[in-house]
Amino acid sequence: MTAAFTLRDVSKIYGKGPAAVRALSEVSFDIQEGELMMLLGPSGSGKSTLLNVLGGLDHASTGEIRFHDMVLTALNDRQLTAYRRRHVGFIFQFYNLIPSLTARENVDLVREIAADPLSAEEALTLVGLAGRMDHFPAQLSGGEQQRVAVARAIAKRPAILLCDEPTGALDLKTGMQVLEALGEINRRYKSTTLIVTHNSDVARMGQRVVHFADGHVRQIDVNPAPARPSELVW
Amino acid sequence: MRPLNAKLLRDIWRMRMHAAGIVMVLGCGLAVLIMAVGMRGTLERTLDAYYADKHMADLAVDLVRAPDRRAADIGAAPGVAAVETRISGYALLDLPQMKEPVSARLVSLPREGRPRVNDLVLASGRWPDAARPDEALVNEAFATALKLKPGATLDMIVHGHRERVTLTGIANSPEFIFVSAPGEMFPQPERFAVLWMGRDALGQAWDRRGAFNEAVIRLAPGADPRPASAAIDAALKPYGSAGVHGRDRMMSDRFLREELDQLGVLAAFVPAFFLVVAAFLVNVSMGRVIATERSNIGLLKAFGYGNAAIAWHYAESALIFGGLGLVAGIAAGIGYGRFTAGQYRAFYHFPALEFSASAATYALAAVAAFAAAGLGAISSVIRAAALPPAEALAPPQPASYGSGAAWLEQLGQGLDGKSRIILRRIVRFPRRAATTILGIGFAISILIVTQSFPAEMTYMLDVHFGLANRQNVTLTLGKMQKDSVLHDIERLPGVIATEPFRIDAVTFEKDGHRVEEAIFASAKGASLNRLIDRDGRPIAMPADGILLSRSLARKLDARTGDIITAEQSTGQRLRLPVRVAGIAEPMTGASAYMDLYAEARLMRETGRIGGAYVRLDPSRYDDFTAVLKKTPALMGASFVSLAERSMRRNFNEHMGLMTAIYASFAAIMAGGIAFSAARVTLAEQQRDLATLRVLGFTRLEVSYVLVGEIMVLAVLSLPFAAAFGTVMAIWLTHLFGTENFAFPFVFNPPGYAFAMAFTLACVLAAAMIVRASVDRLDMVGVLKARD
Repeated sequence: MTAAFTLRDVSKIYGKGPAAVRALSEVSFDIQEGELMMLLGPSGSGKSTLLNVLGGLDHASTGEIRFHDMVLTALNDRQLTAYRRRHVGFIFQFYNLIPSLTARENVDLVREIAADPLSAEEALTLVGLAGRMDHFPAQLSGGEQQRVAVARAIAKRPAILLCDEPTGALDLKTGMQVLEALGEINRRYKSTTLIVTHNSDVARMGQRVVHFADGHVRQIDVNPAPARPSELVW
Repeated sequence: MRPLNAKLLRDIWRMRMHAAGIVMVLGCGLAVLIMAVGMRGTLERTLDAYYADKHMADLAVDLVRAPDRRAADIGAAPGVAAVETRISGYALLDLPQMKEPVSARLVSLPREGRPRVNDLVLASGRWPDAARPDEALVNEAFATALKLKPGATLDMIVHGHRERVTLTGIANSPEFIFVSAPGEMFPQPERFAVLWMGRDALGQAWDRRGAFNEAVIRLAPGADPRPASAAIDAALKPYGSAGVHGRDRMMSDRFLREELDQLGVLAAFVPAFFLVVAAFLVNVSMGRVIATERSNIGLLKAFGYGNAAIAWHYAESALIFGGLGLVAGIAAGIGYGRFTAGQYRAFYHFPALEFSASAATYALAAVAAFAAAGLGAISSVIRAAALPPAEALAPPQPASYGSGAAWLEQLGQGLDGKSRIILRRIVRFPRRAATTILGIGFAISILIVTQSFPAEMTYMLDVHFGLANRQNVTLTLGKMQKDSVLHDIERLPGVIATEPFRIDAVTFEKDGHRVEEAIFASAKGASLNRLIDRDGRPIAMPADGILLSRSLARKLDARTGDIITAEQSTGQRLRLPVRVAGIAEPMTGASAYMDLYAEARLMRETGRIGGAYVRLDPSRYDDFTAVLKKTPALMGASFVSLAERSMRRNFNEHMGLMTAIYASFAAIMAGGIAFSAARVTLAEQQRDLATLRVLGFTRLEVSYVLVGEIMVLAVLSLPFAAAFGTVMAIWLTHLFGTENFAFPFVFNPPGYAFAMAFTLACVLAAAMIVRASVDRLDMVGVLKARD
């Protein structure tokens, strides 16, 4: 197995002087290609900061992150944009769909900038929304909107899928549907998938679980038998 | 400070960029309002004070020759307060610095003391010595144009004699504020002088010792001019009087009144545009404020603030914008007014012209400012007051989009995702899109209108100098002469062709309507000087009967085929019936026109002419002008090329400045609207734009969504702008047209292209300023926040 990401002494510090906040402290570990990894911890523990740094939305203050042979920490804004465009799919807690575009069009949007994308129909069928493709976001439920966001993220067949609290705003049933979709995509397309959650039950779905506290990685658990989303309760 | 007031100040600070746009647009409109209304008042007051101070004549009369003792008869007419009899006439000046002779009007000064009517203001130097026939005062416009100082000498030909006068001083008169040579359409300060000289000197020159040929009369305040005119006419009839006329026939006053009317048009027209746009801007930004303040409104209401207090809180910020705009407008208006006053001072040589606007003008500006701000804010304020607290505290519904009209969806299918976002937003918020389109359209319209004026003036000058006046020189004789004089003119060096003309001052009468006008007559088949209509076509002169200009026909209520009466204003004062052969609309002039021989027959004076149009061999121009300077019988020689050059130069200087001023107004208007619209789009779409960045779209691609929307609206405004600008331009040419000038509307494609390109560039510049925010989008922060 090869490492998709290699992290060495990665720190992120916001602000300067006495007001400085250490959001990440010397984090070092590898993320394997095709792995479904959970980043678990209370709010403010640094898990989302790490996700943003891995996704190229933010710069690490010190340390080095490699994505295969690419040194992410050495890229400028323009190169980070190209990196996101080519390799990364994002899913957020609040969906962030474009309200003026239908489900299909939201997916089509990323297909415009992808090299070998799935069709919008394939992507939406994969998340169980084949029948709602021409609806606008305001006409969809929260769970449906999040599944459109998942379809949008996977349509460009990203090497990495970064999910920040994807079920945070959803109830159990719809959250489960979203996690099912994420699990299915991980299995089918071998996308390296990182899911940020503060919910230890959701974390049982991961092949490995990284525990965060105060910006430090406290421990990394290996889960020999990841739970299926239908087995989860939260 | 009350908490609501503190919040108000912070809200305004937060909206400072919107506020700046509103204040600038409002300021521009109010500046023009204050300048135009204030300048009109200033000119009126200055004119009234000048007229009162220097005893501007209410009535004037020209005659052939009356003995000095008849002055008492004029003074005895009812209501007459003062009379000044004068000797006046025309001379040719021979200036070393000019090849061509220059016309001068000579006006006598009283033997003792200052003129009792039409007194002068001495700008520099001293009054001439009454005992010295070789001393004169000169008008300031001419002295400035030729850089003449007191002490300079002028050579002139008066009544066939060469004289040399020394200028003792430079003066101005209320009678000659606007100075233009007889027969000239526009003033050329360097081509026409007014000289005031001793009465005895002029009496001797024109053989009028002990007599006068002109009287200027001032009436007692409130006196009726009619009985005075009748009495004076009766007293002077035996002396070749042309009849008493009022200020409406005094060229300077008439021209200034037209100028005042045009300022009135400007005062009404331009500010209206800006006030409407300012109201739009207030509407857009207040709408945005209320949308972002929903939860605060709910909170305040939950705390117990009443609807009126909430409404007032939001109305206050709009009114503060109005107040700031008013302050900016007053400051800019005073500056603009002072600048314009300087221009008027330089052009008209008023003794004192200081711009000041009345309290009523400022009050009008204040009403306009608060009305624009208030009207713009009213719908948002009502919405804020009506918002139920519970609803206000709940998160806003996400903007819901639906499928638009089928054809729009069809259009959308052909577009990429980013363009589709632009299209859907425009369709989703049609009122806002329409507002932006209208506002940008207004800015373009203003430029179309201001660009149409130069085109119209150029067209008019082209027609006037290229089609109507194809002679090189117009020679005006001192009095009617036998047409054999034409042979003398033909023998002048370099003359290729001549065309005789005559001009007769008459009073037309029909069914109780009386109009003083002139009949212009030219030879059959005239090709040098022709009457040209509004479309640039020559107007054929009927062989018989008279051709009336449309405005004269209207005043007389005359139709083709009617018989009207023409009464000679000079000489035998014959009353002559003449048939109206047609009604014409010449581009310049509002007189009556006849064939030369028909006219001479009518006047019972066959074989007499008043002057000639002359075409010259250019290689012999110098010989011609040298001889002309020594020709005694001429009253004036007007050189078409000089008039054209002077006209075009003045016009270009003036228009360059006007275009610059109005281009900056349009830039502010278009920039303000685009800036405001782009800021609103940015605020509403921040989340979508950040999402696009996260998805991997580049800054350029994301900026396209922001800038594209405003540019699409700007492009959509073009048809409206072209149509509205054209209607406004046509309407304004109509308003600005005077009796003597029928401004034609000229479709000027480069003007439209400039108006559109310039405004689109301003819109783009404003959008690009807002676009810079895309580079600073906080992707993480925006995405983590709930809507």
